[in-house]
Amino acid sequence: MIPQTPTANPQPLAAGFCRLYSMLLYAYPPEFRREYGGPMEQFVRDRCRDLRRAPGRLKFFRLALHVLADWFRTTVRERAATVWNAGRAPVRHSSVTEWAGTILIYLFATTTLVQAYVIPTGSMEGNLLIGDHILVDRLAYADPGPFGRHILPYRDVKHGDIIAFTFPEDVRQTYVKRVIGVPGDRIRLLHGQVIRNGCRLVEPYTQHIANFHDPYRDDFPVAPDAYTSPRGRDMFEHHVCNGEVVVPPGMLFALGDNRDNSLDSRYWGFVPRVYVVGKPLMVYWSYDAPTADFQEWTIDHVIDVAQHFFTKTRWKRSFLIPRTQQAMEAGDAR
Amino acid sequence: MAKKPITQELLPLTPPVFHILLALADEERHGYGIMQDVARQTGGALQLGPGTLYGCLKRMQTAGLVEESEERPDPALDDERRRYYRMTTLGRRIVRAEAQRLAGAVTVAMSRLAGENA
Repeated sequence: MIPQTPTANPQPLAAGFCRLYSMLLYAYPPEFRREYGGPMEQFVRDRCRDLRRAPGRLKFFRLALHVLADWFRTTVRERAATVWNAGRAPVRHSSVTEWAGTILIYLFATTTLVQAYVIPTGSMEGNLLIGDHILVDRLAYADPGPFGRHILPYRDVKHGDIIAFTFPEDVRQTYVKRVIGVPGDRIRLLHGQVIRNGCRLVEPYTQHIANFHDPYRDDFPVAPDAYTSPRGRDMFEHHVCNGEVVVPPGMLFALGDNRDNSLDSRYWGFVPRVYVVGKPLMVYWSYDAPTADFQEWTIDHVIDVAQHFFTKTRWKRSFLIPRTQQAMEAGDAR
Repeated sequence: MAKKPITQELLPLTPPVFHILLALADEERHGYGIMQDVARQTGGALQLGPGTLYGCLKRMQTAGLVEESEERPDPALDDERRRYYRMTTLGRRIVRAEAQRLAGAVTVAMSRLAGENA
């Protein structure tokens, strides 16, 4: 095996970081961002470029940490400045108020705006791998109420969206799947291909790995087998009509992209709309380890991460953004 | 209330503002160039992040200490996203006043601490 050095591939990492930084600029007040956002992005690009010539292993992390800390402090300062200085001379703020504001924003952000999850299974493989640590945007699909709706960027879940949701069979777990059916849709599968409302879907994001035919999996919905959970059986008993599953109001039908190796709505039924946690925003760290390591943190896993952080981290996946992809409807299936 | 002269009102300068003014004392620079020069001045002790740098420049522009330059001193390395800044006459007066204030403080410090080293 070729030994890998942690800094063997700084360009994609730097590019990812610059991308992240241009997104982070939106935290500044709009006037400030319009005025200085371009030069600031250029500044970070220049630093990344000069870094390549500098020696040292952890140089990139030091830079990232420095820039993020700087962003953290100055967003608060600029925001506070626009609020307090409206029309007045500049006011000096003590570091106590600055840090209090920072901590408040941080607490608010981690509880209501984003949350971190790790992908434990390969059911979305092709798009999300085992060990991808993702940030979930909790506001994306949360109904902000009649007033917030005009202010916040809110839209309802639609076909092709990737959703993170509380697993209905075990509420301690969070699953990530793709929305295939919304209320009113008629869904069935034929030879592993989804037929929605009579139209065959061409799904470029899926992956088929099995070389054998499983009628339950590929020609869903056929007679439920022994593995089907009680919720799955309930779906078969009450929501199957003329060989198609009909998605009831307030529910979603979600499938994994790794279609042949995914425990999804075919096996345990619909996802209640209210169980949707949010929308995966980006991968912030991707670490190559088996499923079991991510289901429960063990001391072995901690040691493994400490020893192999640089070699087993998939650097290229940093700051990757999982995207909504629409399936194409390829005409009548009958 | 008697109005203090503007040079006194702005003193003391924060370290970033002071060093940014010094960086612009002899030539016009763009943001990244200012950062590099400040690092040189302080032996690497003061590394300005982008938010700190442009936040300071914004406040300094409002106070009239620096202004944006129309000229592009180095067309070879130029990029439209780069903005060049230069010091105003007021900025020069302020940084001189701050240097004098610091020099005074240093003189006092030296005379009080002189006995300790001997």
